[in-house]
Amino acid sequence: MIRKLLLLLSILTLILAGCGQSGPQVVKVALVAPLTGDISAHGQGMKRAAQMAVDEANAANLFPQYQLQFAAFDDRGDPKEAVTVANQIISDPTIIGIVGHLNSGCSIPASQVYAKKNVLMITPASTNPKLTQQGLKNVFRLCTTDDVQGPFAANFVVDSLGFKKVAVIHDKTAYGLGLAELFRTQFVSRVYPVLSFVGIDVGEKDYKALITKIKSTGPEIIYFGGMHPECGLITKQAKELGLAIPVFSGDGVLTPEYITIGGPATEGDLSSMTGLPPEKLPAAQKFIDDYARLYPNDDMQPYDPYTYEAVKMILEAVRQVGTNRDSLITTVAGINFTGILGESSFDEIGDTRNKTITIYRVTNGKFVYVD
Amino acid sequence: MFFQQLINGITLGSIYALFALGYTMVYGILLMINFAHSEIFMVGAYIGFWALTFLPLSIQNVVPLHLSLVFVSSIVGAGLLAVLVERIAYRRLYGASRLTPLISAIGVSIFLQNIMQVGVSAQSQPYPYPQSSDIMHFDFFGIQVNSLQISIFLLAIGAMIALQLFVNRTKLGKAMRATAQNHTVSQLMGINVNLIITMTFLIGGALGGLAGVLNGMYYGSIKFNMGFFPGLKAFTAAVVGGIGNIKGAMIGGFLLGIIEAMSVGYISSAYKDVILFLVLIFVLIFRPTGIMGEAVTEKI
Repeated sequence: MIRKLLLLLSILTLILAGCGQSGPQVVKVALVAPLTGDISAHGQGMKRAAQMAVDEANAANLFPQYQLQFAAFDDRGDPKEAVTVANQIISDPTIIGIVGHLNSGCSIPASQVYAKKNVLMITPASTNPKLTQQGLKNVFRLCTTDDVQGPFAANFVVDSLGFKKVAVIHDKTAYGLGLAELFRTQFVSRVYPVLSFVGIDVGEKDYKALITKIKSTGPEIIYFGGMHPECGLITKQAKELGLAIPVFSGDGVLTPEYITIGGPATEGDLSSMTGLPPEKLPAAQKFIDDYARLYPNDDMQPYDPYTYEAVKMILEAVRQVGTNRDSLITTVAGINFTGILGESSFDEIGDTRNKTITIYRVTNGKFVYVD
Repeated sequence: MFFQQLINGITLGSIYALFALGYTMVYGILLMINFAHSEIFMVGAYIGFWALTFLPLSIQNVVPLHLSLVFVSSIVGAGLLAVLVERIAYRRLYGASRLTPLISAIGVSIFLQNIMQVGVSAQSQPYPYPQSSDIMHFDFFGIQVNSLQISIFLLAIGAMIALQLFVNRTKLGKAMRATAQNHTVSQLMGINVNLIITMTFLIGGALGGLAGVLNGMYYGSIKFNMGFFPGLKAFTAAVVGGIGNIKGAMIGGFLLGIIEAMSVGYISSAYKDVILFLVLIFVLIFRPTGIMGEAVTEKI
């Protein structure tokens, strides 16, 4: 019996070994994002964009020497899950680059896991400054950080909107709290104290008690640090309670699903987003058209262009130096990439040098950028 | 601000109370915590959503008929689902240890959530009714109340009074109270205990479905995991009120809603649940059986 098993095993090994030799080397690019759960709208968009970039490379036969594959992983936007998935990813030697995660709370712990095996990671979406301040060589970020976004929003409120009374709400996460604190610091430095600064629970539905309290302090605008499911309910319930003031939020809210949840109450709300709007990037036009053609039923999400760009960047590095993990990291660190976002390069800690912020306003049920 | 917070709290409490009744009724009869109840609530909200969206336009144009069909379908649907769950997942486990049906209930809860997530949608769905234009807003000296809040409160109170009358004034209600006290003796008296259990799940599930639709209308969006947080709060409401006691569940629900609103309004939003559960721990220290609960010696 045991001999038979051994025989079978050796035959299997031979077959497997044969397979490995016959085809070209498998090279995988992985996307990690919340594909299920509350904020899956963002993650599903990122997956579509990454898939597009890989498919294009395969269609153009960019890498005849490799068999280029795409793998998507789900972190559910949960830091614990992110670490589990990260460990799963580093156990696969064919994965040469990771695009992700979305949430800063996931990216920070996961980046430490990738660093152990020296796997290249480019996040298209995590904006908390701490991610690249950890001193990890393998971590790069294609989006602008919250220490640019938060103060930019504060200056916009003071200079462009002319408001002095602001109530700040955050969702107590690495991203939401971080952004809200950076907003507050800048706002206070402009000599205006904020009226209130309070945390809420992710996943709750009723914010009426909080809004009633905020309303009694007489704010002109609400600044929110967090994601769209909570922000949509806040803006809806604020207007129901007769607090008809705009809600200003960060990039975590800028998705059409925000308007689905908040309904007409979102009209006039503001949101900041890293980078230039895709409409203003001439190079992005082809991407926008292709996206609309390939996914006619899905709206483009804010981080889709960044995800697409991050995958392209990894593929460019592979084209230059092959699949060695160390050389890939050094290549990306020194890359000067011209793509749909314009010119991108990374500074010494791995943040993009492209630090523009755009403000969007909900106009007729759609986010439209404000010049 | 106090009165505004009171109104916020009462609306929230109405939903908790309706929801808590399902937990407390099942516990009263079976001494079992039905964790799947939060998913009955969620499915109720979805049935209402489908009825709002997919009924033919000729019905949708007659708003009162359409709305009553929405409520009836989700109440009946959620009630039947609760009965089905009891038949499939609990009935054969009553002889086993008390932990067994509990685990089965958790299993059903995860099963239903995942079915909805994978089979229906992983994303929030906007509730098509009422649109903000259909809600009437009233302003009493700076206190904002809308027609939806008033309807939620009235519907919840109505359902609770009807339930009270049913349990205290009808023959079936009497049979139900008897079953709660002792299954074997009730059976000897000619009560069909299985029928009473089925009925309990039907009524509890129906009230859960009603709470689900009201929740969907009030917050304007629904999602596969929407039952989890309110389920936890409603269960707590049932315990605080005295689990197994119908009046207790109502009082517990309103109490929880009001404490929640007040602690956000006057103390801190970030510590809302800390304060809430601190109050509850104190209530339970001084009244371990809950507000309306009676100290009953262990049934044998």
